[in-house]
Amino acid sequence: MRSINQKSLLSVFLLLASPFLRAQEIKLPPDVEKLSSTAKETVEVKMDGPMLRWASKFLSAEDPDEQKAAKLVQSLKSIYVRNFEFDKEGAYSSAEVQTLRSQFSPPEWSRVVGVRSERDGENVDVYFRLENEKMAGIVIISAEPKELTFVNIVGPIEVDQLADLGGEFGIPRLKTKPSSNRVAKVEKGDHK
Amino acid sequence: MNQPNEDMKRIDELMKTALRREEVPSGFAERVLARAEQRPAVTLEPERIPWFHFFSRPLVRWAAFTAVTASLIAGSLHYRNVRREQAKGEAAKQQLMLALHIAGSKLQLARSKVNGIQTSQPRRERETNRSRSKS
Repeated sequence: MRSINQKSLLSVFLLLASPFLRAQEIKLPPDVEKLSSTAKETVEVKMDGPMLRWASKFLSAEDPDEQKAAKLVQSLKSIYVRNFEFDKEGAYSSAEVQTLRSQFSPPEWSRVVGVRSERDGENVDVYFRLENEKMAGIVIISAEPKELTFVNIVGPIEVDQLADLGGEFGIPRLKTKPSSNRVAKVEKGDHK
Repeated sequence: MNQPNEDMKRIDELMKTALRREEVPSGFAERVLARAEQRPAVTLEPERIPWFHFFSRPLVRWAAFTAVTASLIAGSLHYRNVRREQAKGEAAKQQLMLALHIAGSKLQLARSKVNGIQTSQPRRERETNRSRSKS
């Protein structure tokens, strides 16, 4: 009887808390969403926890990069990556990027890196979300002249390990490259 | 005209001699019985039925055919599903690696920018100090 009460209390709590839990979701501004129509190449990867676990089963234990990836994703809750590549510069406005950045404000998010480069026009922002002094998520917004990238990873993540997977000296180690004008949708999650 | 009559007579004689009654030699019956006892008794073995004779029945034949066809279809469907799952998994793995690569490369970009600022700042300070000392 007691356990039933506990369960019902928990379900009521979850029901009440769901709007607050959903509040953590990050939404791409509609203007940014529209960029896919003008972009030369668009990449969208959405993977939630079970999907990540399932995909990691196919990672090879012999490949060092895949081995690192398997270790990295085992406790992640979700990954969302959106990348736009354009033919020309100025395909998006700084206001659109600013709308995106404005969603990540203290105390929930803390900006650890904010680079503004007037010389080459490469602007990068990295935000961390901490829970009980532990890493609970990372957001990367990279606005380059011909490229706009948004990354949101939810869950405890080793930043150094993630950076290692980016290749060495900007040279990608990835064997496959997305084909032109391809939208890679793995799973439709709750992200928008 | 006499020739056929003679032939018939000869045949008659031959038949008479061949079918004449002869006395059984003494001890013939005993010898036959003794020899019969010496011979091993012939036992009739049960008829062996080959295993495939079971399928001679039409109902069994049809049942077997249906079972084999069903298992072949089920096997091929299962194999196709396994292959499909594997292909999906491989695609998901590629997407995951792509996402991690993009995230990692952007982190590296941020890191390189920060490192670039850190290395350029002391150089600038050194240059300003040098110009001050010259003046």
